[in-house]
Amino acid sequence: MEEQASRPPGAAEKAELDRAFEDLYRAHLRDVYSYSYYRIGNHHDAEDLTEQTFLQAYRHFERARRESDGRPLRPWLIRIAHNLASNYHRDRSRKPTAALDNIEPPVHPHGTERVAEGRERLREVMEGLTHLPEDRREALIMRFALDMSNREIARALGRTDGATKVLIHRSIRQLEEELASKEAGADE
Amino acid sequence: MSEHAPRSGSARSIDLEALLADALRPIEPPERLSGRLETTMTKLAEAAERELSDWRDELTESELESLRDPRNWVRPVAAAAVGGIAGSALVLFEVRRRRKSEGFAGVADEIRRRIS
Repeated sequence: MEEQASRPPGAAEKAELDRAFEDLYRAHLRDVYSYSYYRIGNHHDAEDLTEQTFLQAYRHFERARRESDGRPLRPWLIRIAHNLASNYHRDRSRKPTAALDNIEPPVHPHGTERVAEGRERLREVMEGLTHLPEDRREALIMRFALDMSNREIARALGRTDGATKVLIHRSIRQLEEELASKEAGADE
Repeated sequence: MSEHAPRSGSARSIDLEALLADALRPIEPPERLSGRLETTMTKLAEAAERELSDWRDELTESELESLRDPRNWVRPVAAAAVGGIAGSALVLFEVRRRRKSEGFAGVADEIRRRIS
């Protein structure tokens, strides 16, 4: 019995496993890439990080699937990307806060004056994000760029649901205060 | 939505959440990334298979003898696992590259045919 549980998967099981990985890859390539891009700040390294994330995920996919007990694997995937991004910053002795400095706000299709104002506001938001502690910034990236639920973010960050809810709330509050103080400084 | 971040009561905070959603839009990965990932998986699989076969060729008679002792089984089992995983990736991505236009149902059928 024990021998059967630990034996490598047969051909049919392996094919099924590969199909499941293929589905995971297709469903979350954009999530992993978006997360990597906002963590790293340039497309070239974000591609590397995305590639490494999926290679590592493939290596441990069978076990992750078994242990997930049917729960979605996106938090696990983002956690791999999170660890690799941390290694990236550590290895290169780059401050993670520098990543968002390089990112330009998205371009809107209508070129009105109001849109230009909006872009300026978005730039301020991006700049404000760089002043947040790493865990707060990450939680906001997961929440807004990946549209992850509190529960998913909690699993990706290895925290409880309650702690994650508080983390996100405080992140938004801090960013709000950051922008307000900048606005007040500009008015003076 | 109830699972998501709490919405603060003030209009200002609602604006900020809208701004954050706008500033942190999802980024579409470049098309070349998929091809690159598939190529890497294929190369990895080839290297793993080569490694496994070189290692088999290198064994001397005494090493083969010592392999009969279960205490020495860790290395071959690990190598076979790597080869198995990588080999499976090779099948998957080779087939995908060839049959991209046929969709995933076609790819799955092809994989089943090749491994059965």
